[in-house]
Amino acid sequence: MDELELLKKHWKQQDTEYPKVSADAIYKMILKRSSSIVKWIFIISLLEFALWACLSFFLKDTENAQHFDKMDSDYLIIPLTVLGYVVLAYFFFLFYKNYRKISVTDNAKVLMENILRTRKTVKNYVFFNLAFMAITFVAVLYIEFDQDKAFISKAQTAAANGEAFMFYAKTILIFAGIIAVFAAVLLFFYWLIYGLLLSKLNRNYKELKKLEL
Amino acid sequence: MDKELEHNFVALLEEHQNIVHKVCRLYTNHRDAHNDLFQEITIQLWKAYPKFRGDAKFSTWMYRVGLNTAITLYRKSKRTVNTYELETFQFKIKAEEYDDTEEQQLKLLYQAVHQLNDIEKALVFLYLEEKDYREISETLGISEVNARVKMNRIKNKLKTILNP
Repeated sequence: MDELELLKKHWKQQDTEYPKVSADAIYKMILKRSSSIVKWIFIISLLEFALWACLSFFLKDTENAQHFDKMDSDYLIIPLTVLGYVVLAYFFFLFYKNYRKISVTDNAKVLMENILRTRKTVKNYVFFNLAFMAITFVAVLYIEFDQDKAFISKAQTAAANGEAFMFYAKTILIFAGIIAVFAAVLLFFYWLIYGLLLSKLNRNYKELKKLEL
Repeated sequence: MDKELEHNFVALLEEHQNIVHKVCRLYTNHRDAHNDLFQEITIQLWKAYPKFRGDAKFSTWMYRVGLNTAITLYRKSKRTVNTYELETFQFKIKAEEYDDTEEQQLKLLYQAVHQLNDIEKALVFLYLEEKDYREISETLGISEVNARVKMNRIKNKLKTILNP
């Protein structure tokens, strides 16, 4: 006999062997909070949006930033700030729209795709921020080179010693290094959080996709 | 109104709760995990219930939500799937049909099914519930042909697991 047929026979008979959950217990259950991955992705995404918003907010108040404000930099910094907020709003709208689309009554494949899409939106937002950070650094560097008196005099001393190239190269490398370290730490956290959270979903999604080949 | 919705839902779920138990049966291996998944499916069913129109059968709707929760939404996969504590579930077979070899065979079968991956389990579940390939394909989002092919492969896989 087909193995599954035996199982099927038993499957139909086993109705009585389950513990009966009472109506009272069901009432209590629906008051409890879900611990689904969708909820976690939502919370983590909100934290990410908040993190980047806070980061730009706090950076504004540092000593360096105030020193920087004295220079003629508004023509660069204001458009960049506005762009940052517009993009934040756009990504947040996109994220929310995707999130609303997630419905547990869709078929398994569509459900997985919708969840992965919200995740992808946040990922794109973070990539945008990393790129944005790099651009801002370049802009800051440019203004420093151009206007910071202390910096210009150092550059001139270096130039007088015939080390102008070394001086600029060193400054740029330090900035690039800071960005790289920051990006690496971020990517590591990403890999950790989403890797753990989505490993099952990814595995099952791949399995479903494999069926279509 | 909300009270009425809640009341209807609880009554329906109480009546059809075995569907949820059966999903938990395939996807978990011990009682705590079973209860945990049962609760999560209940919460997901309740959250989706306001949109339940009644144009589908409540039970059909439950299959979808239950499987989606088990396959996609439920987080605690490692802790529950990789440990085999099948002993905690006794296989009760009606007294008049009691047959030692059959019980042994069933035990091995359940063990074999637990070794399948989540998607394969979903196919087996719907098959055991005597759903046709159209419904299987609609629940999982794959084509009918692929569902049929996959089902045959699963049968072979089970044979290999049982007769190595």
